[in-house]
Amino acid sequence: MMFFSEKTMTYQPSDIRALVEPDRVHKAVYTDPTLFELEMDRVFGRAWVYIGHESQIPNTGDFHQALIGREAVVLIRGEDGKPHVLFNRCPHKGAKLVAMPEGNAGRFLRCPFHGWNFRCDGRLLSVPAREGYEDTRLDIRDPAYAVRRLPRQQSYRGFVFASLAEDGPSLEDFLGGIRLTLDNFCDRAPEGEVEVAGGVFRVWQRSNWKIFFENLNDTSHPMVTHESSVNAARAEYQSLGEGGQMPFELHIIEGNGEPYDFWGALEMVAYDRGHSYMGAIFTPPTDPVSLAHQASLEAVHGPERTQQILSVQRHNSIIYPSCAPHTSFQQLRVIRPIAVDRTLVEIYTFRLKGAPESFFQRSITYANIVNSPSSNVMPDDIEVYARVQEGLGTDGGDWVSLHREAGREKTEGDGRYTAGGLSELPMRNQFRAWASYMSEEA
Amino acid sequence: MATLADSGIDPAAVTAFLYEEARLLDQRRWFDWLALFAKGGMYWVPLRADQPDPVNHVSLFYEDAMMREVRARRLEEKRAWSQQPLVHSARIVGNVQLGEPRGDEILARSTFLMVESRLPTQRMLAGFYTHRLAPRGDGFAIVEKRVDLIDSEGVHQTLEAFL
Repeated sequence: MMFFSEKTMTYQPSDIRALVEPDRVHKAVYTDPTLFELEMDRVFGRAWVYIGHESQIPNTGDFHQALIGREAVVLIRGEDGKPHVLFNRCPHKGAKLVAMPEGNAGRFLRCPFHGWNFRCDGRLLSVPAREGYEDTRLDIRDPAYAVRRLPRQQSYRGFVFASLAEDGPSLEDFLGGIRLTLDNFCDRAPEGEVEVAGGVFRVWQRSNWKIFFENLNDTSHPMVTHESSVNAARAEYQSLGEGGQMPFELHIIEGNGEPYDFWGALEMVAYDRGHSYMGAIFTPPTDPVSLAHQASLEAVHGPERTQQILSVQRHNSIIYPSCAPHTSFQQLRVIRPIAVDRTLVEIYTFRLKGAPESFFQRSITYANIVNSPSSNVMPDDIEVYARVQEGLGTDGGDWVSLHREAGREKTEGDGRYTAGGLSELPMRNQFRAWASYMSEEA
Repeated sequence: MATLADSGIDPAAVTAFLYEEARLLDQRRWFDWLALFAKGGMYWVPLRADQPDPVNHVSLFYEDAMMREVRARRLEEKRAWSQQPLVHSARIVGNVQLGEPRGDEILARSTFLMVESRLPTQRMLAGFYTHRLAPRGDGFAIVEKRVDLIDSEGVHQTLEAFL
């Protein structure tokens, strides 16, 4: 079966639509480098992509590097106190202006090549020996000689997104119903604000970026993929011989071993544009650390509003196509496609401002034990993603199944869809958005 | 202040202990390695060399006896998918230097270079060990083993076995 229009040697919208059926997708979406390049233009060139959090750049000149599709960009705090997203390219000869993942540029950005200096909002500040440009076509007052800004940039409660497209929906409209995840992420802080803290893990995956996204709400993989760590945690609990409540560190590993019925009872919700979330799996939190957090919220909001905030219980949320917040443990995973078979994932932990230190420290423990490249859990995921990538490279079949509970989701209106906890609704929903971006309909 | 010279510690015995520890890890003898730790002993691989502590910042490994045992058990599980094929390592420990003893405790700094293989790929890891050791019987027990990878802040492949 050919999906490639031989005449133009590229994918036409009809070719793209033929790759995505309601309940299965063609393997080319994961393996074809041509499609990957198209994704860079059409998905990452148009969607709102998460860049970073404002708390990562508290002071003027603080910067944080990020990727939006193929584009290296810098999130930097200007003298105006605002975050700016700029291309990491000197408008003179093209050198990258910053090299470190994060840092402080000082009062201005200085190009390491010929010493052009720029204000932290990108405006050109000074050029050495500027008389050399008199009577030439280069006008240093021309905005073309400022560091180029991303066409669009917008923050939502401190989370900075940018878009390479001049036009499109506002960030709020783009997020739609998944906004509540970011709201709840922040509302869980007694001060209503969060900050990135405690470092970032960066991990390579030898697989297509979409495989990771699909896995985030895949409730029929934990008991299989994670059998080794589930068994190890259970055996360890037995050997402690104490009975009683399982230590938190073991509980968050062992939770993957819950039976299918447990996952089936979870809430599974999808939204237009590829977003989705699944209900929380570590509930209800009645341990001393959670209760101390609850008390810190009640001190500010009273019991009723606190109950309202804590009743929003979500495991992974997906903000397609760039990040996955986890509100219960204050994690944010950022997904950067590097090549058709190579993905960079960054794992950030956030501090809830005004919450007890013990609550933040538990988030650190969760990141170490579940989300780190050196955890007992993640390596089996990464191994399985790589096996999918390699398996799809064989001639053993053209299609990938997305059939679980297909056709059983409920359309709730306002771009919201619900299904049983074991449904592959989130995967089908991602590909519906993908096909829309890729055939340039969105 | 007690100095190394008058502490009665034999530097060769410390070095021999570090070599033996490396051998246990390279032979995947996890449970023998676990037995080297003192009660309450910690295994810590910070994410940053200047990381002030392991509780307010993420670490590559920050494991007490319970979590070390979970890791050892998992590495031996039949369906540890990422251990098909198994990880094997060979490491060289050198540049061993002893610090001034603090009470009973010995501080040993060393450099390691290890090749880790998971067929068909192979990679090199390098960094520094800092062992805090307490005398136990004829030898020592590990109070803390800290490992600083030279690329600890980099983008990592998975790290599964103990470093």
